[in-house]
Amino acid sequence: MAKTGMERLEELRKEIFKCIHCKACRFAYSNEPDKDGIGEFAGKQGTILYEGMVDACPAGIEYGWEAFWNAGKMWIARSILSGDLEFSEEVRDVFLPCITCGQCSAQCENKVPTVDIIESLRAACLEAGIPMIDKHEVVDKLVKERNNPYGGKAAERFKWAKDAGLEKFIDNKGAKIAYYVGCTASYRQVEVAIATAKLFELLGMNFTLVDDEVCCGSPFFRIGAVDTAQELMRKNLEAFKNVEMVYFSCAGCYRTFTIDYPKWMAEGEKLPFKTQHAFELVARLVQQEKIKFKPNKELKGKVVTYHDPCHTGRHFAIDMEQEMIKESTNLIVDHRAIDKAIEAWYEVPRIILRKLEEDVGLVFKEMYRIKIDSMCCGAGGGVRAGYPEFSLRTASLRCDEANAVGADILTTECPFCWRNLSDANEMYEHGMKVLGILQMITEYNLLEILNKPTEKDFLTLSIREEIGHLPKK
Amino acid sequence: MSYKLCTEKDFEAMIGIVGKEFATNNKAITAGYLAKAIMGLESQIPDIVVRPKYVEEIRKILIYCSAEKIAVSPISGGLSGGFACPTIRPGGVVLDLGRMKRIIEIDEDNRFCVIEPGVTNGELWAYMHKNHPDWAPPIPDGAPPAATVMGDAIDRGFSLYTSSVGPQGDNFMCGEIVFPNGDVVRTGSWALPFAKPFYKYGLGPDMWSFLMGSQGSFGVITKAAVKIYPHPKHKTVVVWGMSNPYDMQDLTLEVGKKEFGISHHTVMVQGGNYQLVMTRWPKDKVPHDYEFYEGMGISPWWMNWEIWAQEESELNHVIETIDKQAEDFKKRAKDPDALKKQELHPKQIASRMKKPNKIAIPYSFWEAGFLFITWYTPWNECAHFCDMYTKAAEKHGLPPTIWVASIERCRQAICMPIIGFDSTKQSDFERVQDLNRETTEYALKQGWLNYRPDPYIHIQAYYQAGMYWKYLRAFKKLVDPNMIMHPGRLALP
Repeated sequence: MAKTGMERLEELRKEIFKCIHCKACRFAYSNEPDKDGIGEFAGKQGTILYEGMVDACPAGIEYGWEAFWNAGKMWIARSILSGDLEFSEEVRDVFLPCITCGQCSAQCENKVPTVDIIESLRAACLEAGIPMIDKHEVVDKLVKERNNPYGGKAAERFKWAKDAGLEKFIDNKGAKIAYYVGCTASYRQVEVAIATAKLFELLGMNFTLVDDEVCCGSPFFRIGAVDTAQELMRKNLEAFKNVEMVYFSCAGCYRTFTIDYPKWMAEGEKLPFKTQHAFELVARLVQQEKIKFKPNKELKGKVVTYHDPCHTGRHFAIDMEQEMIKESTNLIVDHRAIDKAIEAWYEVPRIILRKLEEDVGLVFKEMYRIKIDSMCCGAGGGVRAGYPEFSLRTASLRCDEANAVGADILTTECPFCWRNLSDANEMYEHGMKVLGILQMITEYNLLEILNKPTEKDFLTLSIREEIGHLPKK
Repeated sequence: MSYKLCTEKDFEAMIGIVGKEFATNNKAITAGYLAKAIMGLESQIPDIVVRPKYVEEIRKILIYCSAEKIAVSPISGGLSGGFACPTIRPGGVVLDLGRMKRIIEIDEDNRFCVIEPGVTNGELWAYMHKNHPDWAPPIPDGAPPAATVMGDAIDRGFSLYTSSVGPQGDNFMCGEIVFPNGDVVRTGSWALPFAKPFYKYGLGPDMWSFLMGSQGSFGVITKAAVKIYPHPKHKTVVVWGMSNPYDMQDLTLEVGKKEFGISHHTVMVQGGNYQLVMTRWPKDKVPHDYEFYEGMGISPWWMNWEIWAQEESELNHVIETIDKQAEDFKKRAKDPDALKKQELHPKQIASRMKKPNKIAIPYSFWEAGFLFITWYTPWNECAHFCDMYTKAAEKHGLPPTIWVASIERCRQAICMPIIGFDSTKQSDFERVQDLNRETTEYALKQGWLNYRPDPYIHIQAYYQAGMYWKYLRAFKKLVDPNMIMHPGRLALP
């Protein structure tokens, strides 16, 4: 029996009470005051000094009040638990415009799991009878009716595959590998779905697009609609039960299957398949020198930067950290191994980007806030649906940062980040091209296979699973 | 003293002053200003929070609240300071000064910077690192990067230069203060309309010192000139370990008393016991026996000297002098065999010299909450304090973690027990307060001073300093006739 939001909040009581309101969580690089940066840059959303620590909590930046920065929210959670504050629409409206990017958790020296706390608060608030905001009600209704929050027809979920000549992969019986496409890539950013499926095809992967795939539930876990989310989870677990490995191109879906599902499944129940993001596979094949990239005149000399999606970046890094802390019996000794594992995780997409730089001739230039200190794109946590203007201003802040390093191409590895960054890029005229890494590889025909990967390569554990454990003593 | 509870009319008045975007009585938002940690365990949700940006707005707010007898608590930006910041009874109005965050001027020749209250340690450090790399502001070493420079000053706290140049309050030259009677006063040389903030003592008796340590209980400081210091390239940390606090105290005093050319170069002189390392991690995830820490080369007690020098030869001279002094001190040490130099890895040195840092934050990781109970003692009594406190903490079943640092070349010590406890348990709260009460009684009898008085526990200090408190109250009455500013601080009213 799954726990209620309030029960989860109670479970997190001790974590909530670890917050001392130091507010280090408002910054990226809160422990690197001397970090050399790129100086001041006047962007579309204002002037920012990219030196040392920089404000990085989107809700705090947007609303300003202490309650909207993470530490304020932790004390609101504490007030709820202490009975000093009751759930109300006003309380809901303070913790809903939080993108749950996890920057705060990453900065916290007391390792407060802020994203879990905020999601539990949201769930408990709904349970207390406080209604969802209208915009969230709309997506909740849509997903209940159509199994996706965009209102797309079920029959059209894989229309992109049919249109792209990839029909043979739909319900490909007997395949041990599935590609979970997700709603955004199925109904909106079909470029990402096509690029990923074509890449798999080029690599020789025998995979299936599972006909009964439904929304992963991510937006609903994020906004506290956990009943809706769990119903979707059950449908997906049933639909994918016969495959060994599920690949993802969406950071949010990958996070939801890998981190959320096990938390919400019955005690003792395990995911019936392994999971990994497509970029993990590509990075591994690069490392194993099974693939390389072709030079490209159009891309040569172009400055490419990379936006770490929170869902593949920080959320996995924090989860990895929490799991390794659980494993550890002596953190004074083990914390270095944890830091190393997190760093190794963030290197995965960069393995591809560096190889692209080497082979294709593009120039890979990092933004100021990267990896665990990366600034969010503004799309997650139900914010794009609920607070679109704030969401796009945040995306524009991120685009400013890409402009500050002179990027021609802003890459990422999440269709949801792609969508938001792309919209902000257009709306605020940042003048870049926004692309997924795998999309860039496919659209520019960059892939060169040196040594055809085998099914074993495709079924091998993800890099994440390899690095996310303490070394055996 | 009685205060008025805020009404809708008062809220409307606040909106009239700062606009509706910057005033709120939404309890969901005002609850975000709670903080029961680090320096104090009491806090309550304010009735109204206002975020002014201009001095004139603050003046109008104070005049209004004074007339209406509404309590006002200013916070410059940080909140972790326990009693210095959060509202306690009665709630009233919180002035969140976070929007006043201009770094107005940096003057390298006269060596000051002018800042507004909302400027954080992290922001000022980054700005100077980029634009004035040869100079550094006296930000606190262990206060979090989001704490403000101003907050540390009016608490007359501790900065990265304090061991060399004295208390943080001494680094502040001139200030601009809005008093609840509506006056805007500029102190020191700033009292003259065209003067630079170059001289603290201005036109006669120094009014600024009167505000140092006021914690916002007299008025709202809206601008301050802060000394800046050289930030030379030659820096290192020297550490000597020992088995007991008395050897730590006495060796450090011998170095401190050398003054010219030696302890002036030791910007941060700080030490403590091995529990400082242990209690930064979860209680169930670290070894509790000393043997493990001994294996890591950590002595039961130690002292760090962080040395900054313009030339390498100067740096080497200071290192050699400290080492020579320590060798010689073995003749007088209680436990000479335990006195040894600790060799640090370059990464450890770099980590210790990082400013501002998060070194003081993770003590909540031990269980779920912690309290700094900080005292000033003459330097040569700090070992006595450590001895007393470690025993008292152990008696109450709390970890005996202690940090000690020198102020002004060992003229004074700042002694800070770090009490890690489980703040989800009422019984733990009570244990901590029992310890605090019991040790306060002892400490006051020794003539030691509390750093940031808890109005419930440390009130005894004011009872013992009756005449001083009488004048403190009289001064407050002069500038704050209705006693609206930060009730409860300094046992005022």
